[in-house]
Amino acid sequence: MPSSSSDAPAFTQVDWDEVGDGVGRPGARTIGFGLALGVLAALLAYDFVINPDKTMAPLEWDVRREGWLVLVSLVVVARYGLVPLVADRDRTARYVDAFRQRRAGVLALTYLTVFAVIGLVGPGVFEFSYAKLGHRLQPPVFASVSTDIVHTYSCVGPVVDGACQGTWQYPLGTNYIGENVFKNWLSGIHVAFKVGISTAVIMATVATVVGTVAGYYGGVVDDLLMRYVDIQQTVPAIVVYIILATLFLGNMTNISDGGLFAFALVFGLLDWGGIARLVRADAMQRRTTGYVRAAKAAGASNLRVMRRHVVPNSTATIVTALTRRIPLVILAQIGLAFLELNRTRPVSLGNVLLVGVMGRHMPWHVKWWTTVPAVLFLVGMVVSFNVFGDTVRDVLDPREEAQ
Amino acid sequence: MTDDPLLSVRDLAQHYPVRSGLLRRVTGHVEAVDGVSFDVHQGETFGLVGESGCGKSTTATSMLHLESPTGGEVRFDGDPVASLDGDAMDRFRRRAQVVFQDPNSAFDPRLTVAESVAEPLAIHGMDDPDRRREITLDTLERVGLAAADADRYPHEFSGGQKQRIALARALVLNPDLLVVDEPVSALDVSVQAEILSLLQDLQADLGLAMVLISHDLGVVRQVCDRVGVMYLGKLVERGPTESLFSDPQHPYTEALLSAIPEPDPRADDDAVELTGDVPDPSNPPAGCSFHPRCPRIRPPDEFEFTNGTFRAVADLKLALANGTVDGEFDDSAAVREAFDLPSALADDEAEQVLADALDSVIAGRNEVAADRLAEAFTSECEREVPALEPTAAGHVAACIRRDEPSTADAPAEGD
Amino acid sequence: MTDSLLSVRDLRIRFGTDDGTVRAVDGIDFDVRAGETVCLVGESGSGKTVACESITRLIPTTSATVEGSIRFDGTDLTTLSESALESYRGGRIGHVFQNPQDALDPVYTVGAQVVEAIRIHRDVSKGRAREQAIDLLDRVGIGDAESRFEDYPHQFSGGMKQRVVVAMALACDPDLLIADEPTTALDVTIQRQVLDLLADLQAEREMALLFVTHDLGVVADIADRVVVMYAGAVMERGDVYDVFEAPAHPYTRALMACLPGRGEAFETIGGQFPDPTDPPDGCRFHPRCPHAIEECESGSHPDFRTMEQADGTATATPGDDADTDSATTTGDDARPHEAACVLYDDVHTIPTDVGVADD
Repeated sequence: MPSSSSDAPAFTQVDWDEVGDGVGRPGARTIGFGLALGVLAALLAYDFVINPDKTMAPLEWDVRREGWLVLVSLVVVARYGLVPLVADRDRTARYVDAFRQRRAGVLALTYLTVFAVIGLVGPGVFEFSYAKLGHRLQPPVFASVSTDIVHTYSCVGPVVDGACQGTWQYPLGTNYIGENVFKNWLSGIHVAFKVGISTAVIMATVATVVGTVAGYYGGVVDDLLMRYVDIQQTVPAIVVYIILATLFLGNMTNISDGGLFAFALVFGLLDWGGIARLVRADAMQRRTTGYVRAAKAAGASNLRVMRRHVVPNSTATIVTALTRRIPLVILAQIGLAFLELNRTRPVSLGNVLLVGVMGRHMPWHVKWWTTVPAVLFLVGMVVSFNVFGDTVRDVLDPREEAQ
Repeated sequence: MTDDPLLSVRDLAQHYPVRSGLLRRVTGHVEAVDGVSFDVHQGETFGLVGESGCGKSTTATSMLHLESPTGGEVRFDGDPVASLDGDAMDRFRRRAQVVFQDPNSAFDPRLTVAESVAEPLAIHGMDDPDRRREITLDTLERVGLAAADADRYPHEFSGGQKQRIALARALVLNPDLLVVDEPVSALDVSVQAEILSLLQDLQADLGLAMVLISHDLGVVRQVCDRVGVMYLGKLVERGPTESLFSDPQHPYTEALLSAIPEPDPRADDDAVELTGDVPDPSNPPAGCSFHPRCPRIRPPDEFEFTNGTFRAVADLKLALANGTVDGEFDDSAAVREAFDLPSALADDEAEQVLADALDSVIAGRNEVAADRLAEAFTSECEREVPALEPTAAGHVAACIRRDEPSTADAPAEGD
Repeated sequence: MTDSLLSVRDLRIRFGTDDGTVRAVDGIDFDVRAGETVCLVGESGSGKTVACESITRLIPTTSATVEGSIRFDGTDLTTLSESALESYRGGRIGHVFQNPQDALDPVYTVGAQVVEAIRIHRDVSKGRAREQAIDLLDRVGIGDAESRFEDYPHQFSGGMKQRVVVAMALACDPDLLIADEPTTALDVTIQRQVLDLLADLQAEREMALLFVTHDLGVVADIADRVVVMYAGAVMERGDVYDVFEAPAHPYTRALMACLPGRGEAFETIGGQFPDPTDPPDGCRFHPRCPHAIEECESGSHPDFRTMEQADGTATATPGDDADTDSATTTGDDARPHEAACVLYDDVHTIPTDVGVADD
């Protein structure tokens, strides 16, 4: 029961005329985000204007277009993914608890974390030697291959009972050119990560903005936006990319990154329709909830309501939808690379697979180590994404829908 | 304190267009609110009562301009709300707050209670987080919660507690007017009592004006100084609570009051039972919107009808007009029985008309019967839309039969 | 001497949850006789809904443990197999729930659903079932039943949907109708219609009605007997006149006192509902009771004590006919007005006014 204490309530002591002038300083997160982007922009300008075509001294690597895209994507992920988790410890702790109870989800997350770590670091960590033709088709360290399939075959390791044994020099063996499969495998994972994250960020950004605006405002805005999405969804990203690649990729010297930047742009900007629809449905449902109405009744602008109430509560939808699409996008890039329509440097798994099946020296099933690791990785990736997506939805949603 | 009302609503209307067809043409309107007028003075509680679909919640959102009304004028402290913008609009939003129905979805599940309650402060530009917190904690204590509750999440609280938090959120801007929409309908009886008691205390302490919307007449009677009864978008009766409850002048108010079960097993069962359902708001009846269900519909002056018979005739007329009479009657006695009509009406001329119509029904010619009845038996209630007029009881009612004695005591109609 | 149609003894229902074992119903007894209306009154957490659902085992046994006896016309329903129980549900025992939209499947016509309700228990042809269904719809007050037979639930208003649900519940002429807050979601004028309908049907078919509600007004209107529940236990039970005119248990009194709109200043009950996983010892209401004494705070739930009339005889039902003077002929001293409160034993007395609760 309220205490009718004799002092007046604190809220009656506010002189709103003097308080109410603050437009609202931007929050710390926004400032940090702006700063990070500013730093990147400055570095980009530096690289572009002052020091093009050379590796950047402090970073020791040549950041090409795709590199900048990946850096921006990482900043966005940090701002919108990691910062909220760190800032609100209690809520994160609840999620972690709920997540931990789901074994499959934990496994999936571990897999994806390893994927991300390799992806960030890349094969550059290890010191690999260049391809040696003389060391072609070595088996992996834990297996062996019969030597009499191929003549003029030289085995790096010992030959036991007519079978060449693998060595630690080439833990996953070599392909028919003599490239270290392990190195290429890591490089492929690295490329897959870059593809995944840059496309994901572009897709998520566009889909969230379009979906939220369409769902929240409704009416004509919704009609127009969704009509556009309808039309866009009839244009398959992969076809657009193939056309662009055929036209422009032939001229390799102009395209320094082998098409990864182009790939991320094409898919990021053309493949977001499905996610936008899901976000729209969410926004439509949220705009009639009590807390949105209360915020509007308190005088919040539409932008504020969308930023603070509608979008954050759609996190589950966005993340889950992304976990469905990203593996498909990665596979698309690998498929295109296999068809030589996308040639990244370092090589992608598509190229690995392509080179893996080439060569007349051994039938493809005998030199299985040139292709199987890549396939296994991809299967694991797709499954992990899906399981992770399901788990995220379970963890994030039930609380929100619980009575 | 002046006598001018804090809130003045005049002829408020909210019509929603109904669109159909390929080109989405406007084919009609749902008149959710159709000409509602009332005043609220500082320190008083005005109740808006009615059943579902009557437009009371829409009245609340329209009068606060959370949705722009399609007609009428709302004045707050003398200024028309429609002409407010910028700072003046912000000030209005601060001074007029609302607590919506359903405490369960009233809070963003990702925010703690303190964050939710402090949000209005942040919206209006209070940047200092410590000050916000101080005000939030103080307000939470005044609504009966503890400061320790501030950092918990809404789902950890019961319905009654959530309603208190919602009240805190509305009060934190120090409003002059508080609109509460069904504050207790989702709550248990004992919790209802607590929340109502809290509302009364807050109003007394803070001098708030309140508009309380409810379908529960008991709640309204307990808390409100003045009441308006709504039916299908219009106010049918309005005035001081006790006057309205002890001497209702509109048949709908009477029916509403008598429909409430009295917690006394020996109470007389004199409930006025209404036939039928609330009509479709996109197609309201002509004239008085209550006439299809009104037990006191006025018969045409040319005929003499005894108690209640005209209602039965009117029901038959309606059923024929709507096409809901299936033509499987053996004889006119069966029709009479189905519609609660006596074997012969007291007035011979009326009986003649009725007999003719019934013959047409038996013959399967329902439209002919409908026309016959419509021609003779159209009530004044169907032609005119009654306005709110003063009654002898001391409040206003929109019924041409106000100030007449109620049906139970009325002598045979027709003088 | 009438035997009870439904006799519930020492019913205990427990749920296992993440927060502990919830003792939703913790030892309740009540009876329903043929043709009579018994109201289970209580607020959230009182266990009234769970108790009703357990009668025909509508609660899955995987989530709840049910103990005690539930005798219906001599048979203990708790011992029956699932398939044997199915013949009771909808057959001899009908159900009406709170939300009609939950009870009606939106993809089937209303007529089809009533027909299904008939044909589950009766071996009749489709044509015959259809006729019966149309009769039922007509009987529950749905005008133009034959053409509305083909309509879908969304074409009906809330009150109409509830009538359809009543029709389905009555399809096989049950002896007992269990209605769980059937009118709570309806407007008050529609509620009146549905209550009148239920009263008519009950009189017509001599059906017993077990009605669950929190609305004391409805109870006063329709009940013959009242069972007041709080936090899983019965606090008071008796004839409706006795309970309303001389409410004995402090909880019942407090409940009556906090009804709004009776023109008097109303009281509130302080405190909150007890935690269902850890209810208070002794009388569950003691933390909030304005008259609680030390004995109320320990032990098990208080025993029932019979309320006495001014002349010292046990209360009995004042029947409609003349034999009210001898309390033995109606047999109702088998079910007197009782309250589970320590204050009614020989040693203590209870103040006559309710007492204002402090915080």
